[in-house]
Amino acid sequence: MSGMLAVFRKELSTYFRSPIAYYVVSVFLLGTGYFFLYNVVLTGETTMAGTFQNMGVLLVSLSPLISMRLLASEYSAGTAELLLTLPLRPWQIVLGKYLGAITILLAITAGTLIDLVPLYLFGAPETTTIVAGYMGFALLGMACLAVGQLFSTLTHNQIVAALITAAVLLGFWFVGHLQSFQASAVLRGLIGYLSFALHFADFIQGLVRTEAVAFYLIVAAIALILSATHLEWRR
Amino acid sequence: MNTSPAVIVLESVSKRYGSATIIHDLSFTVEPGEIVGFLGPNGAGKTTTMRMIAGFTAATSGRVTVAGYDMATQNVEAARRIGYLPERPPLYDALDVAAYLRFVARAKGVARSAIPAQIERVTAACHLEAVFRHEIYKLSKGYRQRLGLAQALLGDPDVLLLDEPTAGLDPGQIHETREVIRAFGRDHAVLFSTHILAEATLICGRVAIINHGRLLAIDSPAGLQRAMEQTNRVMLEVTAPAAALRDLLLAVAGVREVEIHPARADGALTAVCQVDAGSGTEAAIARAVAARWDLHRLERQQPTLENIFLKYVQERPGRGAAA
Repeated sequence: MSGMLAVFRKELSTYFRSPIAYYVVSVFLLGTGYFFLYNVVLTGETTMAGTFQNMGVLLVSLSPLISMRLLASEYSAGTAELLLTLPLRPWQIVLGKYLGAITILLAITAGTLIDLVPLYLFGAPETTTIVAGYMGFALLGMACLAVGQLFSTLTHNQIVAALITAAVLLGFWFVGHLQSFQASAVLRGLIGYLSFALHFADFIQGLVRTEAVAFYLIVAAIALILSATHLEWRR
Repeated sequence: MNTSPAVIVLESVSKRYGSATIIHDLSFTVEPGEIVGFLGPNGAGKTTTMRMIAGFTAATSGRVTVAGYDMATQNVEAARRIGYLPERPPLYDALDVAAYLRFVARAKGVARSAIPAQIERVTAACHLEAVFRHEIYKLSKGYRQRLGLAQALLGDPDVLLLDEPTAGLDPGQIHETREVIRAFGRDHAVLFSTHILAEATLICGRVAIINHGRLLAIDSPAGLQRAMEQTNRVMLEVTAPAAALRDLLLAVAGVREVEIHPARADGALTAVCQVDAGSGTEAAIARAVAARWDLHRLERQQPTLENIFLKYVQERPGRGAAA
């Protein structure tokens, strides 16, 4: 546990030394603010639904920039040779880094709470729907960061890690569109189940379904287990 | 568990990457209180061997044990007893020196209450006080190297593995680093690789010579020199006719080859004889030569470690085993 905490604290203290971190924070917060203004002011709806939808797209596109450095930078800087010879088990390294990335994402997300101020001042939004939306956003983020961490574990090159992660995440995000082309109910069901966007849509509507929660958690768990297994096997 | 007192044990260790074999059947041990120098040209397999002992890479076959723990299955337990400085100091540029050392101490499981004292100790040992609050990316090469060493000393390891610890240091820093290694090596095991042969002679109890992934010799510096004495050389300066001198020298028992160098300005010749091991040969040469001509100088040339190293590395590219 203490080994994992050491890795976690190191992640947090190194992350904001990178200009990429400020890029991610600014683009995410400016983007969210822009979509919020567009959705709420232009349509006059006092809900977060449209904004959450756009936040999901921003998350899928920006999270690769948070996760890309997790292991790839350790390989390229030579610090992997320290990290992997310290008395730490692979899961301690993987979880310590993962929790660091999640914390960074949550900190950025907290910045969007400011949008709720005018919403509550000038309207009467449904609090439960907003909570469900943020919950879905956090779960989506957990899945995206775990997938990104897996690709960062597999390559020495941060750019390669980010590009592959972005391609895979966008694929999972938009895969739902294929549903309309499928005649077989089984395929339609499978595609629907794999879609990051369709599960997220439930949360936006205020629906917290066990199936959707389990989906994101399972994706995250599989990616993390593969990362830890790779660290063990790469020796 | 291994019953030998050695803390580092390599038994027939090999490492292959695909079809290329990097390390061939390497076996040696390092005991507590022993400093072993690891000598070899670039690409000899020093870093790969260090990485296998540190647990960064696994051996393809054979067994590496550190402090009784098998690195294949118990590498985390063993890691608590190892301090490792890789060839490239593993530093996080974004952290300052203090934060970096705190991270390593915590990750090594040093008790919270013991961390400040340990950090203070390694900071003093490696002379890092002046840069303690500096960010690592601003450090000079010498400081980076010494911070890498400080990190390795945290957590009171039983074993220190240092891959070229003095590379990039100035002479003063090299001296300080050697003192740290020497002090640590009094009651711990140290394996360090180096290009600098004099360094190995200065502080190592034993020297291992490796090339093309094979161990060519492992012995004390003096032992390696003794092993070479069978091809010892005796050099003499004498005023004499070259041909007659050659015949006379070759007639002395124990002299195998004679090389005569051109006369100096004063007419004296320099002759170099390859002689067999044994003590009487020099005296016999001296008697024979002095009886007929003016003998100005006669000395037995000790083989330097450099000659030994070059001889092993150049002449034994093939099968290993000590001389």
